[in-house]
Amino acid sequence: MAGAGDFMSRETLRSSIGTGAAIAHHGELIQGVFKDDGGRLHRGLVTLPVASLRSEATFARTDGDAVIVHPDHKVKASSAARLTLDFLKVTGGGVLTLQSSIPVGHGYGSSTADVVASIRAVAAALKVQLRPSSIGRLAVAAERASDAIAFDEHAVLFAQREGTVIENFRGSLPPLLLVGFKANGGVPVDTLQLPPARYDSAEIQEFGVLRALVARAVYLQDPNLLGRAASASALISQRHLPKQGFDEIAEIARRAGACGVQVAHSGSLFGLIFDLFASNLKRRAALVAQQIRRAGFKEVEVHLVNAEGWTW
Amino acid sequence: MVTLAVDYFRDLETPRLARLAPNLVAAAFPLMKLMPARYILDRAASNGELKAGTHIVETTSGTFGMAVALLAAARGYRLTLVTASTLIDAKYKARLERIGATVIALDDPRGDGNQPGRLERLQDILAKEPDGFWTRQYDSPGNWLAYARLAELFIRAMGKVDCLVGCVGTGGSLCGTASFLRTVFPHLTVFAVDTHCSILFGQPVGKRMLRGLGNSVLPKNVRHELVDEIHWVGAYPAYLSAHRLLREHGIFMGPTSGAAALVAQWVAKTLPDAQVAVIMPDEGHRHAETVYNDDWLATLPGWPCKQPSEPRTLTTIAPAAETQWTRFLWLRRSLDDVLKSQAASAVPSAIGAVENL
Repeated sequence: MAGAGDFMSRETLRSSIGTGAAIAHHGELIQGVFKDDGGRLHRGLVTLPVASLRSEATFARTDGDAVIVHPDHKVKASSAARLTLDFLKVTGGGVLTLQSSIPVGHGYGSSTADVVASIRAVAAALKVQLRPSSIGRLAVAAERASDAIAFDEHAVLFAQREGTVIENFRGSLPPLLLVGFKANGGVPVDTLQLPPARYDSAEIQEFGVLRALVARAVYLQDPNLLGRAASASALISQRHLPKQGFDEIAEIARRAGACGVQVAHSGSLFGLIFDLFASNLKRRAALVAQQIRRAGFKEVEVHLVNAEGWTW
Repeated sequence: MVTLAVDYFRDLETPRLARLAPNLVAAAFPLMKLMPARYILDRAASNGELKAGTHIVETTSGTFGMAVALLAAARGYRLTLVTASTLIDAKYKARLERIGATVIALDDPRGDGNQPGRLERLQDILAKEPDGFWTRQYDSPGNWLAYARLAELFIRAMGKVDCLVGCVGTGGSLCGTASFLRTVFPHLTVFAVDTHCSILFGQPVGKRMLRGLGNSVLPKNVRHELVDEIHWVGAYPAYLSAHRLLREHGIFMGPTSGAAALVAQWVAKTLPDAQVAVIMPDEGHRHAETVYNDDWLATLPGWPCKQPSEPRTLTTIAPAAETQWTRFLWLRRSLDDVLKSQAASAVPSAIGAVENL
């Protein structure tokens, strides 16, 4: 990884404290294998961000070499802080403190949010602004597989094991309402213990179609096209990491006129996607939440995506 | 998709998109068969079946052979194409040979393309060279899988697609594009375009005037269950439609593209609220001396003729004259199902997509 300028090491910024934050996500809109410009295949995903849940990090530089993290089990965040110091060619260590409202183990990306918040806090302590692409690469280096949360609400197709952008959709996701809940009885999933899915040729070709759909959905801010892409990706995911009750949820979504069904491809989260500006949305969302609870699913929550202060 | 990498064949296989009507987008290909040819060769190269110098064989006299010939030349493969003397003209054969392909044109005493003889010769070559590679455009799943890329291009340009119109020869382009579009647009209505006396959709075999459309054998890549409506377009309406594409849109395409455009323009007019996509597989250059030559056209019996404004709907599948355009409601059935119901002369009571909307 290239250094970000030697002048930093000459600065005396030992006393600075920096803060950084990162948002959670609700799993992925699409996840699979995608071709780059040269035709090579990469595992990639488009993250569905949830800004209401976040991790906040504070980094205070110290003279000692060590990076000390609170709470002390957040070792990936600590290693991200160390990688960021190295990337910025800074010696010394610091105290990293994390505070997060993101539940662990369901596909909300709690770990990546900690990591990204930590990278941002270290950079802030050094008064450096990092590009999202650098944050993404550092995050992958710190935790092997990451998500695209370093790009916040900006829609990108992100290679989660390489930390690179396969396609930049050049815009944000359209405003959405998400009715989210947990499958499989809400049992958490350890993402890194999952073997990577082996997709067949037809699935790999279909991922290109889903990617095109996301590109068009971002370009025209069309939640319906986005929902179709999410549903198709969720259906492929069913063949690799099945979620109980999928068919029932798909039927509820169809009857409720949802744009689509979305899943955390390596978590337990389910989401029904609605157009935030659809008519009667409040009543429809409440009705859908009730049906989902009645079908036996737990922890039904409503999230707004790119709502820009919209109250509904 | 914006791409910054240089790739000549990817660019050459990419169609130009044309808006033929407010609700109709056409994919006008310079050489459509490059899409499956490149995909099949790429896959074979990456799984080790194809190495530098490998001998590729195929039975074709059409544009698939041209596509494989270009790729084989650029990538250092040997290529033998087995065809019948009745199916290939001297100019096309010379063009293929200039690219470096070996073209074997077998005698064709019955005039039906001598497919059994061609396959026998191909097997002889493969028996002598076990490392040889047969691209199998009729049966290889690579043929239809390649067209995910066309589905992507339509989606990026149009968003939602409601109707797809395309020609059937091997079935790869229409069935491939349709099955990928259906994964996200399950309501997609598929209009297949064939020609009289092609056996693909239950007509008896016979002499076809339109080359490159239809077939006298049934490839595995034709998946009848995807098709909502089948249209049989005769040579004359296809020629007239190709002329119209040039005169009204400045698009120079072959007659099979003309047949597809004719059906697509009718679908777009009949269903004004539907977004319609049409696949136009070939350019007009190969037909400059015939379809685009008034002297040649004047030798055709009954030419000039009037362009039908709409198809004649059949309840019993039967061939019609080359001046005719017919249609049958296939309704996503298998070939067996349709043939059985035809034999029992049980006319389906359901109505077609167009009547439904």
